[in-house]
Amino acid sequence: MEIMSFNILLAVLIIAPVVFGVVAYLSPDKLRSMSIILCSVIVAAAGIMITIKPNNQFELPGSEMIATILEVAIVGIILYIAVTIRNWLILLMSLAQLGMIIAEIILAQTGHAVTHSYDFATDPLTKILILITSIVGPIIAVYAIGYMKSHQEHAPPTAASLGQFFFFFIAFLGFMNGLVMANNLKWFSFFWEATTLCSYMLIGQDGGESKKNAERALLINTFGGLAMVAGALWLAVENKTESFEGLLAAKAVIPMVLLCVAAFTKSALLPFQSWLLGAMIAPTPVSALLHSATMVKAGSYLVLRVTPGFHDSPKVMMVITIIGALTFAGAALLAVTQSNAKRVLAYSTISNLGLVVACAGIGTPLAYAAALAIICFHAISKGLLFLCVGRIEQKIGSRDIEDMGGILYRMPVTTSVALIGMMSMLLPPFGMLLSKWMAIEATIRSPLILVFIILGSALTVFFWSKWIGRIQTSSYHPKFNKESIDPAMGFSLITLALGVLLTGLGSMWIFNKFFAPITKQVFAGRTDISDVLWNVFNAAGDFAAVTLFVAVGIAFIAYWLLVWRRFKETDVRLPFLCGENAESTVYTTSAFHNSEGIRSYAFRSMGDKIENSWSSTTYLKNFICEKKATIWLNIIAWVIIIILLGEAHLL
Amino acid sequence: MMDKINWTQWIIIAVSLVAAPFIGALIAGLDRKVTARMQGRKGPPVIQPFYDIIKLFSKQPVALHKLQILYAFLHLVFMMLVVVFLAMGQDLLMILFAHAFSTICLVLGGMSVRSPYSRIGSLRKIMQMLAYEPILILIIVAIYLQTDSFLASSVMSMSKPMLCSMPLLFLAFLSAVAIKLNKSPFDVSTSHHAHQEIVKGITIEYAGPYLGIIEIAHFYETAILFFIIMMFWQTNLYIGFGLETLAFLAILILDNTFSRLTTTWMLKYMWSIPLFLSIANIIWLWSK
Repeated sequence: MEIMSFNILLAVLIIAPVVFGVVAYLSPDKLRSMSIILCSVIVAAAGIMITIKPNNQFELPGSEMIATILEVAIVGIILYIAVTIRNWLILLMSLAQLGMIIAEIILAQTGHAVTHSYDFATDPLTKILILITSIVGPIIAVYAIGYMKSHQEHAPPTAASLGQFFFFFIAFLGFMNGLVMANNLKWFSFFWEATTLCSYMLIGQDGGESKKNAERALLINTFGGLAMVAGALWLAVENKTESFEGLLAAKAVIPMVLLCVAAFTKSALLPFQSWLLGAMIAPTPVSALLHSATMVKAGSYLVLRVTPGFHDSPKVMMVITIIGALTFAGAALLAVTQSNAKRVLAYSTISNLGLVVACAGIGTPLAYAAALAIICFHAISKGLLFLCVGRIEQKIGSRDIEDMGGILYRMPVTTSVALIGMMSMLLPPFGMLLSKWMAIEATIRSPLILVFIILGSALTVFFWSKWIGRIQTSSYHPKFNKESIDPAMGFSLITLALGVLLTGLGSMWIFNKFFAPITKQVFAGRTDISDVLWNVFNAAGDFAAVTLFVAVGIAFIAYWLLVWRRFKETDVRLPFLCGENAESTVYTTSAFHNSEGIRSYAFRSMGDKIENSWSSTTYLKNFICEKKATIWLNIIAWVIIIILLGEAHLL
Repeated sequence: MMDKINWTQWIIIAVSLVAAPFIGALIAGLDRKVTARMQGRKGPPVIQPFYDIIKLFSKQPVALHKLQILYAFLHLVFMMLVVVFLAMGQDLLMILFAHAFSTICLVLGGMSVRSPYSRIGSLRKIMQMLAYEPILILIIVAIYLQTDSFLASSVMSMSKPMLCSMPLLFLAFLSAVAIKLNKSPFDVSTSHHAHQEIVKGITIEYAGPYLGIIEIAHFYETAILFFIIMMFWQTNLYIGFGLETLAFLAILILDNTFSRLTTTWMLKYMWSIPLFLSIANIIWLWSK
């Protein structure tokens, strides 16, 4: 047998992380770091290799039974957790889940034939997700080595052991790989529940209050799991199939809608967003993992997997689009009101996932390509941003954006990397902006959706530029501070930053080379796509992104020639404070050692009294109250979900 | 795309890049002259903006730090890129994004320094963007609904003047132009009048040649905005020019009759009346 055959790569991608997780759990600190690094290298290599290989399928002998046993086992574990934390709602939902799984087993025993299809497969969509999971995921894992070292020093006594943390952290990657490659719904459900379990354990890492937030995550995701198993059961009973292939072939609307609801819970779309916000209490690498490489991506993957081909039910697709668009604009609105950096990132993730779902719902070639692009570019940028915020938080002891003034001088490397990450979320020529551009062009035929997308985009620009403006605020310094970074964290930051830069530079190339062909493949033979839509699709690919680079290049070269080289310390002036500045020299390093110096401006007022003034950033607090807005958005979102179920004739 | 550009297009690009700031400066000069006459003053000569620019560039270059100046450069270059894109007839949404990027650079430059006035001005500039950006996108949507294309060049293929199919959007656009040109009652981030309470706002910490760069970018922007107004009657450029004159006078009268209002008022106003007018216009076009 060929050493690097498809089957072996598949096994490596799924099983290796779990095995290394066990090793990390059992081994002492030093060996643990080694095994995490080794695992990262192996998973990344296997992920790249499997994407290079042609699409393939794999069938496991006796897989039906193995998958069922695993599924029952994982639901059993969740049941056990529900009993120990005495959450009867989770218990009830897990029992219902178990009941449905048993019903399916009984059906199979009594001779209800279900068409069997292959268990695992790779196709272009799968490959994109594998690349994200097996490259971004390990980079975050390496970062976690450095981060957890100092985290554990300040961790509360209730915190779980590092071994346990890394077991779930690494195994998560394997389950995610399994999830995206599974074609059989039984396997898919198993991996789905496994990621739920991992996220529960990781969010509750520090014990205490984090346990409560972990419980909420488990509750919401178990609800999603219930919808998922219900969809699978329906598919088996009505359409006599249990694979995604069969689902798409049968055009079974009800299972599709149930799976979408499951996806909404995992992607934390409105009204299910609360668990992802609560998850911010976990150590930062966990947030990075949940937001970029795993968990929430599973939801958007599922929506992209099941929605193509349902153009015969335009109403259902329309409602899915509306949920996505509402989430996009609503989460962006809530992000504007936040000064907590991690919450801003969380809302931004929710917002972008909403856009992916909206694009999937629109179902035109351009929308599909935009959805793929957002998933990819978002994964890299958001992973990077969480890593940066984690480091900034460890260094300045606060995650409040208002406290981040002056860090450009104190930690230039991290701040520059964070600036790259933030700018990649909204500015040309980075990929996120190009994806948003395509999303707007794709939604053009449905005005209601378009208004949501436009308002959402405007709000996105608002909250990002506020934050960028704050972290780059600084006085004049002839030299930057030298920054010492833990090697593991430094490696991850630099690698991801390079990834953001390279994918940003090549975003149009990536679009034409990968996303466009994949989209053409998915939409091949579809007669309902008009020529106009294809024209728009092709025109988007024609855009000369190179002009943007030329412009940026000209600005930088002119700046370097005319300003950077010639700038002298004598050219520096103090800011205008409408009076005499209290700082006698232009730059004072001592100001950076007391926290007030970073935040306020000192000037001489009447009678030589030194006054400190301070201007905050706007959070539109007099416009929007986060709590009230959340309640209203949730009500609207629930109504839309009920409409969705109604459209699918489930109610 | 680049290889498809022939030499006539190169000439068009070059001419528009050179002509745009001159046109913008002349409009600014006329603006000051007409405003002065409205207020019963004599006013400076029409070519005063040119003198101003020359003077700014002869001054000593001073700044608060180096990063601040990079943003001034990016602001200008992307404003020029908008002109290039328009001359090439490129994708309208991309033109809008390039323009937004240019404005964001100005905001980030204002925020990069430790100055309260500059920071407040920058924040207000973002609020201004938040207020007018949706209107601009909706105009592009309206163009798409009529031509099935996002390319700026497709506007010329329309047989009827745009104003006939987008009258409400035109009114909304005038509000957006008033914000962009920082005219009362929308001059919250920085103002041409001396009565502004945050002194000069977003550009306060720029001086000398660096302020000159921002002024030139502003001339480009003015030229772009007035070019778009003219395009509302793209079938006959003389009528387009007349439209432009009317819009110019309307904005000046607005500027001189109103005093500055708050940011909150601006946001509420823009997201209610002009946005509503635009959406009504879009729905009308959509249902046609």
